[in-house]
Amino acid sequence: MATKVTADLIETVRTVVGADFSDMDIIRALHMANNDPTAAINIIFDTPSFSSPAVGRTTPRKTSAPPPVTNSASHANKTPTPKFIERSDSNRRHGPSEGEPSSADWWLIESARVAGLSTCKGRRIKAGDAVSFTFPRSVSPPKSGKFPGRGRSMAAGSCSEIVRFSTIDFGEIGRIPNEWARCLSPLVKERKVRVEGCCVSAPDVLGIMDTVLLSISVYINGSMFHKHHRTSLKMAHQPTEGSLVHPLLNLFRLLGLTPFKKAELTPEDLYTRKRPLDPKDSPGFHPVTLPLEKCRKLSDDGSKVGDEGEAISDSDMDRIVGVADNSELEEMEPPTILQCVLRPYQKQALYWMTELEKGGCSDGAATTIHPCWSAYQLKDKRGLVVYLNVFSGNATTEFPSTLEMARGGILADSMGLGKTIMTIALLLSHPGKGGSVACPLSESSNGSSEDCSISDQPSPDLKRTTSISGFDKLMKSKKLLIGGGSLIVCPMTLLGQWKAEIETHVQSGSLSIYVHYGQSRPKDAKLFAQNDVVITTYGVLASEYSAENTEESGGLYSVHWFRIVLDEAHTIKSAKSQISIAAAALTAERRWCLTGTPIQNNVEDIYSLLRFMRVEPWSNFGLWNKLIQKPFEEGNERALKLIQSILRPIMLRRTKSSTDKEGKPILVLPPADVQVVYFELSAAEKDFYEALFKRSKVKFDQFVEQGRVLHNYASILELLLRLRQCCDHPFLVMSRGDTQEFSDLNKLAKRFLKGGQDADSNDVPSPAYIQEVVDDIRKGEKGECPICLEAFEDAVLTPCAHRLCRECLLASWRNATSGVCPVCRKTINRQDLITAPTESRFQIDVEKNWVESSKVSMLLHELELLRSSGSKSIVFSQWTAFLDLMQIPLHRCNFTFLRLDGTLNQQQRERVINQFTEDSNISVLLMSLKAGGVGINLTAASNAFLMDPWWNPAVEEQAVMRIHRIGQTKSVTIKRFIVKGTVEERMEAVQARKQRMISGALTDQEVRSARIEELKMLFT
Amino acid sequence: MANSNLPRRIIKETQRLLSEPAPGISASPSEDNMRYFNVMILGPTQSPYEGGVFKLELFLPEEYPMAAPKVRFLTKIYHPNIDKLGRICLDILKDKWSPALQIRTVLLSIQALLSAPNPDDPLSDNIAKHWKTNEAEAVETAKEWTRLYASGA
Repeated sequence: MATKVTADLIETVRTVVGADFSDMDIIRALHMANNDPTAAINIIFDTPSFSSPAVGRTTPRKTSAPPPVTNSASHANKTPTPKFIERSDSNRRHGPSEGEPSSADWWLIESARVAGLSTCKGRRIKAGDAVSFTFPRSVSPPKSGKFPGRGRSMAAGSCSEIVRFSTIDFGEIGRIPNEWARCLSPLVKERKVRVEGCCVSAPDVLGIMDTVLLSISVYINGSMFHKHHRTSLKMAHQPTEGSLVHPLLNLFRLLGLTPFKKAELTPEDLYTRKRPLDPKDSPGFHPVTLPLEKCRKLSDDGSKVGDEGEAISDSDMDRIVGVADNSELEEMEPPTILQCVLRPYQKQALYWMTELEKGGCSDGAATTIHPCWSAYQLKDKRGLVVYLNVFSGNATTEFPSTLEMARGGILADSMGLGKTIMTIALLLSHPGKGGSVACPLSESSNGSSEDCSISDQPSPDLKRTTSISGFDKLMKSKKLLIGGGSLIVCPMTLLGQWKAEIETHVQSGSLSIYVHYGQSRPKDAKLFAQNDVVITTYGVLASEYSAENTEESGGLYSVHWFRIVLDEAHTIKSAKSQISIAAAALTAERRWCLTGTPIQNNVEDIYSLLRFMRVEPWSNFGLWNKLIQKPFEEGNERALKLIQSILRPIMLRRTKSSTDKEGKPILVLPPADVQVVYFELSAAEKDFYEALFKRSKVKFDQFVEQGRVLHNYASILELLLRLRQCCDHPFLVMSRGDTQEFSDLNKLAKRFLKGGQDADSNDVPSPAYIQEVVDDIRKGEKGECPICLEAFEDAVLTPCAHRLCRECLLASWRNATSGVCPVCRKTINRQDLITAPTESRFQIDVEKNWVESSKVSMLLHELELLRSSGSKSIVFSQWTAFLDLMQIPLHRCNFTFLRLDGTLNQQQRERVINQFTEDSNISVLLMSLKAGGVGINLTAASNAFLMDPWWNPAVEEQAVMRIHRIGQTKSVTIKRFIVKGTVEERMEAVQARKQRMISGALTDQEVRSARIEELKMLFT
Repeated sequence: MANSNLPRRIIKETQRLLSEPAPGISASPSEDNMRYFNVMILGPTQSPYEGGVFKLELFLPEEYPMAAPKVRFLTKIYHPNIDKLGRICLDILKDKWSPALQIRTVLLSIQALLSAPNPDDPLSDNIAKHWKTNEAEAVETAKEWTRLYASGA
């Protein structure tokens, strides 16, 4: 058939004539040219008035034909009256979807009139003739169209979406408008809908482009409401660029079906500002967050979105999230079992949290439709109400009540305001068990949702759906969940603290706690259910989540929690991370995020929190990305406003400078005195530093010259690291270079054995021997070098597992690069030598050769001044090697000290912290910056010394806040040591200059995104 | 004095040789030159040299331990790998020297050499020939020499 090739021909022609001509124009031209594309192109170009796109499409060809129904007309035709619908049931013809499900499964959505265009000439169709529809075989989204590289791929793609109609007698008659085709094709293809049609009116004899008025009836498959379909549908149509509206929604719109209950929040609402040409009436910009009336009210009346920044590193975040003035919030008294006095602002938080947890629950939320869903009455005689999610296109017959909305929020008070105690107050005020509450969420989907259906609606009798989230897994593993209490997820360091705080502040016996942690933790969900509060770590959560994938285990995922609290919730900030997905997959009624830094690097951090809390529609990343993330990154002010309006009702953030009703600060902490102590290196240190600097700069300049700075990040950071360490103590630079790599002795053994495999068998040291060597090293067996017969000095290991002093070995070789092993005579290369790990990381015996660096002297001086006062100090460094070094002078000067670093396990940490807090003899705590970063409460100390500057000032700030927080009674002194004229000082300058960028970019993990300019600055 | 810049390794070796001597071996440094050692090795049992006491001299060159010590039999011995001047044919004293070897290990090697003569790598062609053609007779000669030159005092 000639028309069969039309689609291809159209494309051929279109490649030449461009997108300015509509499909119909080209079809016309092709027709005139007898399907010869070349001739058609000539016709188009030779006929100046051939077509203008707009005219071409709508020009009526025959006056006898009824006026063409344009898109807008059919759109306007919102209330189709029965007389329009000529449904001739006898003539009913099924669409091409072969599998013939029983008609009971098909529900008539609506019938409507469609103006088809004939693509043939001379054939006949008369009113009442049934037509059948032919859908393109493969519906490829425009993105993956045939011409992906072409600018017109959209137009080309639309060619493949042509839906044709035909009669039995004459075969193909014409096609239906693209608008219809686009939304019908994917749905028909997925067997979601079925189309029937018949002719209403047509010219007696058809000519090309004549209008054929059809009446079509669209049926929706009942199985679509089954949950599986709901997900698959969603998966297939993740909103991509340009198609934010789901085809099903479009179809409903085209059919002229109006929701009797319209979603309060639609993509169009979010979109109108950007696309004023949107056909919908712009309802004006109204707040785009879910209408939690009460909460909005409280924050709205006093909300002046903060431009008043506080601490520098907080200011950016405050700009984004706003510091609301919540001084007008009501206060709520905690229950008496809370054995401490809450400050007024903490009582406000309690009130706020309580209100948020209520959600709409109190005022008939169960009977109020979720603002993201629209309700439609289908035309089917049997009567059915369908609810469509206007964002995801999900369809359900179950009433989506506001209960599905997020209940909970982000408590984002800045550090030290007592988020923990406020949360404990909440736990006490509203204890509960999941699943046993009067208004459960859809996730739990127990029978009570039936009661939710509004009386004036037909009772939905189809299978109900169970989840609003897209987490497949949850759906699959949906089984009877045990109702649990509150789950607290926190970093490992805080595990003990949560437990301790609950135990000290709660009347004993009124709240049972279970700490879910450790290798041998039981997986029995009943255990969770028995306790009011379960505390676990992010690590445990992630591992149970991944275990859940493989086996049907119990654990945290077999519980329907009453409430989940994520402490330090920024832990889940990267949405793609396992932990973030794991957190979002938990089942709970109330979800809370506690974090002092809701945004650490990027607005995307917020997305992850919103997803966890089920703040619809923002858990849809496509939507988030399009409407917020991208515009924000492009500096669009509106995106900022949008974020603020999303967060305002669900986030409470006060800082230490927030004030109460009377304008007094909400929290009066003893003053904190932050000083930067600048000092010079000694002459000898300076020489050393300068030498190191010159060497490093030569290397750096080489990279710059070669334009390979970004390729050599690791090396450059290593150079910088050495320089920074040199400012602490030159010994650090002399610490062994490659020891780190092999510090794990098992790795060392493996390397030997692996190396052994490819060598000749008789040269290979036996595994037993290697084991012995490794054990010796592990035990710290001193041993002696077989050459100098002394204790090893800078020992190396040969590939044959012999240990010698580096110097001795190299001296025994005739040339510098290779030689034989003095012990076994195996030939070895110098680069195969391994620096043997030893107890001390230093090449020299630091104890014996101890020299104080300027910085250490500085510290000792400060500590000496404090000694008599009896006040405790914390000394932070980011290098544990420096902590090693500092132990020497502290010992010598008779300071009693403790040490806290990443090598300690949870119990050890707790012990250290307790001992430091309680033992008055201990005056100093050496702490690695990273280990002590979060949560830990060290208010026993009133002095902090930051030995070395960190790239990200927020990390420093967090560390310092360990002492300057609630519970601190003494005035606090914080001293940062900066060596003048060194990389440290320039780091400060870089920090100050581009504070925001650096804080995001130069954390060690994210070095890649840093800028060459900053690096150059460091090397000046 | 020579002793003043004696490497620590030599001092250490000497101390150990004196405090824990290897069985059948004694080595003591000369009083005026700590690099010069008087050595006595007992002929190993079940060898032609059993019952003999062999004197050797050992000298640690300046490069020691990067260079091998110089060792020579002072006592006359009938052995295919030792010539009439007392020079020893032993790989570790030549190209197979390793700084991981010590005086003790060198002397133990020599002792082992007495237990297992190696006529295939001879220093003394005549003796080697004798050993190869008529081992019993050669062994007898060795025993004889031991009796003659290495028996006591």
